Amino acid sequence: MKINDFRSALLACLASCLLASVGVQAQPYPQKPIRLIVPFPAGGATDIFARTLSQKLAEKLGTSVVVDNKPGAGGTLGSDMVAKAQPDGYTLLLATSSTHSIGPNLNPKMPYDAVRDFTPIGQVGNAPSIMLVPNSSPAKTVQEWIDYARKNPGRLNYASSGNGTIVQLTAELFKAQAGLFVVHIPYKGTALAMPDLISGKVDVLFDSLPTGLPHVRDGRLRALGVTTAQRTPLAPGIPPISDVLPGYESTTWFGLFGPQGLRPELVSRINLAANQSLKDPEVADKLQKLGIEGLGGTPAQFTSLLASESAKWKKIINERKITLD
Amino acid sequence: MELFDNLALGFGVAFTFQNLIYAFIGCLLGTLIGVLPGIGPVATIAMLLPATYALPPVAALIMLAGIYYGAQYGGSTTAILVNLPGESSSVVTVIDGYQMARKGRAGPALAAAGLGSFFAGCVGTLILAAFAAPLTEVAFKFGPAEYFSLMILGLIGAVVLASGSLLKAVAMIVLGLLLGLVGTDVNSGVARFSFDVPELTDGIGFIVIAMGVFGYGEIISNLSKPEDEREVFTGKVTGLFPTKEDFRNMIPAVLRGTAIGSILGILPGGGALLAAFAAYTIEKKTKLRPGEVPFGQGNIRGVAAPESANNAGSQTSFIPLLTLGIPPNAVMALMVGAMTIHNIQPGPQVMTSNPELFWGLIASMWIGNLMLVILNLPLIGMWIKLLTVPYRWLFPAIVLFCAIGVYSTNNNTFDIWMVAAFGIIGYTFIKLGVEPAPLLLGFILGPMMEENLRRALLLSRGDWTVFVTRGLSASLLAAAAVLLVIVLLPAVKSKREEAFVEE
Repeated sequence: MKINDFRSALLACLASCLLASVGVQAQPYPQKPIRLIVPFPAGGATDIFARTLSQKLAEKLGTSVVVDNKPGAGGTLGSDMVAKAQPDGYTLLLATSSTHSIGPNLNPKMPYDAVRDFTPIGQVGNAPSIMLVPNSSPAKTVQEWIDYARKNPGRLNYASSGNGTIVQLTAELFKAQAGLFVVHIPYKGTALAMPDLISGKVDVLFDSLPTGLPHVRDGRLRALGVTTAQRTPLAPGIPPISDVLPGYESTTWFGLFGPQGLRPELVSRINLAANQSLKDPEVADKLQKLGIEGLGGTPAQFTSLLASESAKWKKIINERKITLD
Repeated sequence: MELFDNLALGFGVAFTFQNLIYAFIGCLLGTLIGVLPGIGPVATIAMLLPATYALPPVAALIMLAGIYYGAQYGGSTTAILVNLPGESSSVVTVIDGYQMARKGRAGPALAAAGLGSFFAGCVGTLILAAFAAPLTEVAFKFGPAEYFSLMILGLIGAVVLASGSLLKAVAMIVLGLLLGLVGTDVNSGVARFSFDVPELTDGIGFIVIAMGVFGYGEIISNLSKPEDEREVFTGKVTGLFPTKEDFRNMIPAVLRGTAIGSILGILPGGGALLAAFAAYTIEKKTKLRPGEVPFGQGNIRGVAAPESANNAGSQTSFIPLLTLGIPPNAVMALMVGAMTIHNIQPGPQVMTSNPELFWGLIASMWIGNLMLVILNLPLIGMWIKLLTVPYRWLFPAIVLFCAIGVYSTNNNTFDIWMVAAFGIIGYTFIKLGVEPAPLLLGFILGPMMEENLRRALLLSRGDWTVFVTRGLSASLLAAAAVLLVIVLLPAVKSKREEAFVEE
């Protein structure tokens, strides 16, 4: 009996040790500030979105959320940093379709794998694009512009913020569906294309709604259509391009990622906090003024969005033979 | 008159105790940050942006604007005292400013920079207030072809920047152009000369080259000399204030600089920067008064003109921002971000929907400039004292601050390695007797020139005559040709004289 007693005592010790270690792991998260990496320069739409969200996120999670700008290489530098970070939930990424849906399909030498190296936490927003033409343009609707372009193949230009950006790809999708030949003029950012667009040197720009809408509001440019599938409350009065080109849709998604291997309970904790923040009226108002639709969702929904977006852009990139060279 | 009503409204807003405090804090912070080499207004504003969320919009913008000017003033301080251009526009100030400091005339140099900047700031603000709308129309006339011609003009002017051999200056410009090629080509998206290093796909940072070549190069060169031959500035410090004669020389320079800066600052995309270079070039081409120090060796006009130009330029660069909502550079882009966070959309409707914001900002610009002069002039004595610190304590501090400044731009340690590499290159330049200023100008202008050239050709579908058929572009190219002749003429003349003498 003594040996049995001894064995059971030993077993009890082992069991309590195990219990204790599980107890140690269940420490409350978060315990220190969280770094939210924004892979774009300060002052841009992604950055403002991150800062607006981070304040509320900090409240919901109970720790401070610090926005860290790590711009460069079209968003890949910052994203790479998170891909290689510790999956402890203290380093997160606010990425967009450029870094995870378009970039990987365009650049064969990405430093990270958009699917394998990240844990999708959840979508946080959607920004449509808007078709802008100068006030001097003869077209007042999308259909008129398409007819104008068909009558002048190769004589019209479209501006973009660079090769492989959403701005260019949105335009290429439009050209593909409408069967047009319009010349691509890249700039180092749509803000720099504005003077040329306003003075009529370029004929059209598919800018993102946040940056393009103020110019329309001030009467400097004319908006012909939005690129969402339906009319959007962010741009009242502007018809969707899909009215003329059925099935046309191009939006920029914004989403939160963590490094690969992030524990599911952390994922759901952050996802919950993000969804709650998006519902906050102050945040929703700010985002609406920015021209971004605050859209939440589950991690699973995000993962399937990623897959479908990636496939869609891959198709366009291959069909129109858009390369980085 | 409506303008006075608006200005009265603006001053009413800006002169509240709270806003004055914020303006002061902004100016103070800006100066401190600007003095630290490398940490420029972009990094500072990015760091302080979250702190401004809690403030009311007018106060936030006033503070941010104060930081911006403060950083510009602070940048010229380091340029003059320790040969470190804190901002791209201080590169020109370095040339004569540092030479003045070496001759013990750091005080007058700093005063010239401060007073010239203040005058230019006042004029610039007036222009902004009165002529904002018509001036944006001018900006629209500038398409890619005009920008390209303007830059050709600037590039030829760069040759004038060097006081030494013409051949060496041209070589440095070309080297600068080549360094500017590193990065992603805007038209095709190809990464050039990046050697598969991701940090190089956006090009080499300006701060990295400036800090390395000017700062570290100078330090290495100083350390290579035996201790007794090193620069000791304070032994020869003469008066802290410019003499009457200095003022007489300065005033026309300041006026010219202000005029050039006001015009060029309106152009989105580096107009203010070009203004400083252009002002220096034009000053250099005016006849020297008898008894004046030649340019490149400490002429006070070589400090006053570019400083006035870049301050006037930075004021007028607010014009495209406030009227069109187009930020002309990275700092302004951050201001747009700040405005957006406070639910203000920059654009002409700001003038009508938030007049107190618009005019309050303009009034605060004037107040900010005034505060900076009041802040900086007495501080000159303190900065001079800084130079009395023995070199063996001073240079590690400079090395450290440069490294911090460079790191703060991108939070990337790769940049620090680059600065070190450029430091060695800078030392090589000093040994070879070549001047780095033309290199920096070529580095900045090269990529812009290429971008505009290709864009102009894309828009004209390959038609090269577009550069001469568009009126503005043609006149700029004609001016460039004239400038080329003026630059080459002395060289040709002297060769001829040599030939005759030998005969």
